[in-house]
Amino acid sequence: MKEIKVENRREGNILSRVFDELNEFCRARSLFILHYCTGCGAIELPPVMTSRFDMERLGVQPMVTPRQADILLITGYVSIKTLKRVMLTYEQMGSPKYVIGICSCTVNGGMYWQSYATAKKLDEYMPVDLYIAGCMPRPEAIISGLRSLIRNIELGESNNWKKYYENYDYYLGNQQKLFGDEWQTPVDVIGEAEHYGLVGEGTYGEHTEILQRVQQPLKPLEMRL
Amino acid sequence: MNLSQFEAWLADIDHRIAGVEVTASNLNKRRNRVDLPADKLVLFLEAVKGEASFVHLSAISCVDWIDDGEFELVYHLWSYELNQLISAHIRVSRDPGEYQSIYDLYRPAGFFERDIHEMYGLYFHGAPDMEKFILTEWNGIPPMRKEFDSEEFVEQNFSWQEYNPEWLKELVAEGGGVVIPCEEQRFSRSVATDHGIDQQHSNWSGCDVSSKLCRIDSKYRGGD
Amino acid sequence: MDTQIFTEISLSEILVELLLMPVIAFLVGLVMVLWMRKIGARVQRRIGPPLFQPLYDVVKLFGKKTQVSHGVVHDIGIVMAMGGYIAAETLLPVPGMNGIAVYGGIITLTYLMMIPSLGLALGVGQCANPNGSIGISRALTAMLAYDIPFVIIVFGVAFHHETTNLVEIITQQQQAGIASWGAVQNPLLALAGLATLQGMLGKQPFEIYIAPAEIATGPMVEMSGKYLGGLFVMQAFQLYTAAVLYVSLFLGGGESWFELLAKSFVVVSIPMMIAFVFPRYRTEDLVRLFWKWPVMIGLLGVAFVG
Repeated sequence: MKEIKVENRREGNILSRVFDELNEFCRARSLFILHYCTGCGAIELPPVMTSRFDMERLGVQPMVTPRQADILLITGYVSIKTLKRVMLTYEQMGSPKYVIGICSCTVNGGMYWQSYATAKKLDEYMPVDLYIAGCMPRPEAIISGLRSLIRNIELGESNNWKKYYENYDYYLGNQQKLFGDEWQTPVDVIGEAEHYGLVGEGTYGEHTEILQRVQQPLKPLEMRL
Repeated sequence: MNLSQFEAWLADIDHRIAGVEVTASNLNKRRNRVDLPADKLVLFLEAVKGEASFVHLSAISCVDWIDDGEFELVYHLWSYELNQLISAHIRVSRDPGEYQSIYDLYRPAGFFERDIHEMYGLYFHGAPDMEKFILTEWNGIPPMRKEFDSEEFVEQNFSWQEYNPEWLKELVAEGGGVVIPCEEQRFSRSVATDHGIDQQHSNWSGCDVSSKLCRIDSKYRGGD
Repeated sequence: MDTQIFTEISLSEILVELLLMPVIAFLVGLVMVLWMRKIGARVQRRIGPPLFQPLYDVVKLFGKKTQVSHGVVHDIGIVMAMGGYIAAETLLPVPGMNGIAVYGGIITLTYLMMIPSLGLALGVGQCANPNGSIGISRALTAMLAYDIPFVIIVFGVAFHHETTNLVEIITQQQQAGIASWGAVQNPLLALAGLATLQGMLGKQPFEIYIAPAEIATGPMVEMSGKYLGGLFVMQAFQLYTAAVLYVSLFLGGGESWFELLAKSFVVVSIPMMIAFVFPRYRTEDLVRLFWKWPVMIGLLGVAFVG
């Protein structure tokens, strides 16, 4: 059994510590994956969900919108077009959230490593909690990966969602390199970081200045019949 | 039209339109190849559609012959009555990369020509829509051209991450390991000359790739 | 029709009951949610979730660290959705606690059970998501569809027992034994009641308003974190209320908690077992179906009420 890191647990009084432990316990046992999967690796998800390799016994169930989901599964190659939509999806999810990079294409480009239009290292654009390598990994491998994620959550080690707020400048810089300087999402990440007190040294920087110059307010959706 | 009439038609077509040459014809395998000059294509297509019942355009392909300075356009036509395929090959010069569209003859051509325009930069006059739809986030040269080196582009613009899994460390500890490391697996033209890998290995069609993948030697693989 | 039911109840007792009844309903509802998922899993030949799974879900959802809200009306909608059912629990008599059931009869209960959908409609309208608007309009149409047979059944039962007081209905059935249960005396009404139960719980083939892959769960599309936790709690309440109401009207209530719970779980199992082998109806087909068969059977049942 791995040693529990002591720094995580010494904050607050005993009542809040009990609540935190209860929270981590329940969060590890009830995970909602987003029922949207990026590339070809998604073919291995229905076997994990259905009767043979039932994942509901781990407490994992699929949910259809990013607002309801905890885990974003990046299964397969992420082309630049897809990466834009994945960023929009990731920022809409509610924290704490986890990203699992399934398939080798998220690790180092996989089969499409020579392609000009796929992202090679997913870690540059959003914080990734777990990689499950394979092409594609079998359902047993995915379930074993989910179990190690559950173990990490219970030990309090999977806090990478905070990294997105604390290092937003780095991630935004990489996104701007791919998508151009006009890249913006409807989600106000800096505002959220300030509201929840998650501002770090890497939140502001040169890239966020470019973003603030080009950011336009969100226009309401045009309803057409 | 039945098959014997089609055979006769094929034998006759090079007399009727100057420059058309039936290069290969195998009625049993249903493949027929026709080479013709670029300005005779529309005549040929009208004849083949009206007379020989080839009403279905399956695809338009494009090959980049960079050493000849030409694009080769291949029009694949299929006949439902005869169950035969004709592929009509024309060559277009690379320098003003433009040609005419056959949208009025075959409606699906609009889509294929839009695709070829995006990937090769070959412009088709008269096509209904030449807008980008696949590479909407791409700002460089049309990527299927041979002068665009995709791997060099990737080496310059993307970075790699360390991948050192436990199972590989265990294999190395037992005496096995990676035979050809990933840093030497380069197929790009410019990089090939840098590293001194001979020309035979830098094969763009990729049919050599499977033999060059990282071979992991393990003593459990049965004697090497 | 005598009024001896109005025994002396002190204010503190009522307050304790008002607090306890929703809490017990929540706990029993959680177990019913687990029961539902286990039955679904067994029907699909797999193992279902572990024992405390609904509790884990609710605690995790309420423990989310960031929350997206679309305004005050969004919050009010969720409060109304949960509050409607909490108020309905206090009007639903259970063994040992009558709450305020004697002061408001079954008609008030029916009315209160419509409030959650309306509250949800308010909240979803504020979200301004097209999927949500489509979903909630379908939900309200479905509510219109199943409420017609529901009202017919309620009136039939009230007519039969000659009172709208739920406590008295239960007492009459318990005093005269099995032969006086609603299911035995008015079998047609009980049958229509089963169909209405299926629609009220929103189970296949009547789950068009959730439609997970089509409109991204309809009304729940913009609910995250605590709001979704509230909706999960509402689902627990919904299962409990519908089952206990059906048991009270047709199966003679429960003289002890064990009897009530056993009957409620049996009643909850029936829609679940039907649900997991059916696809779903379109909205207009749903309305047509509800306004044809359960209404006809209900009206026939009312005609034969003695």
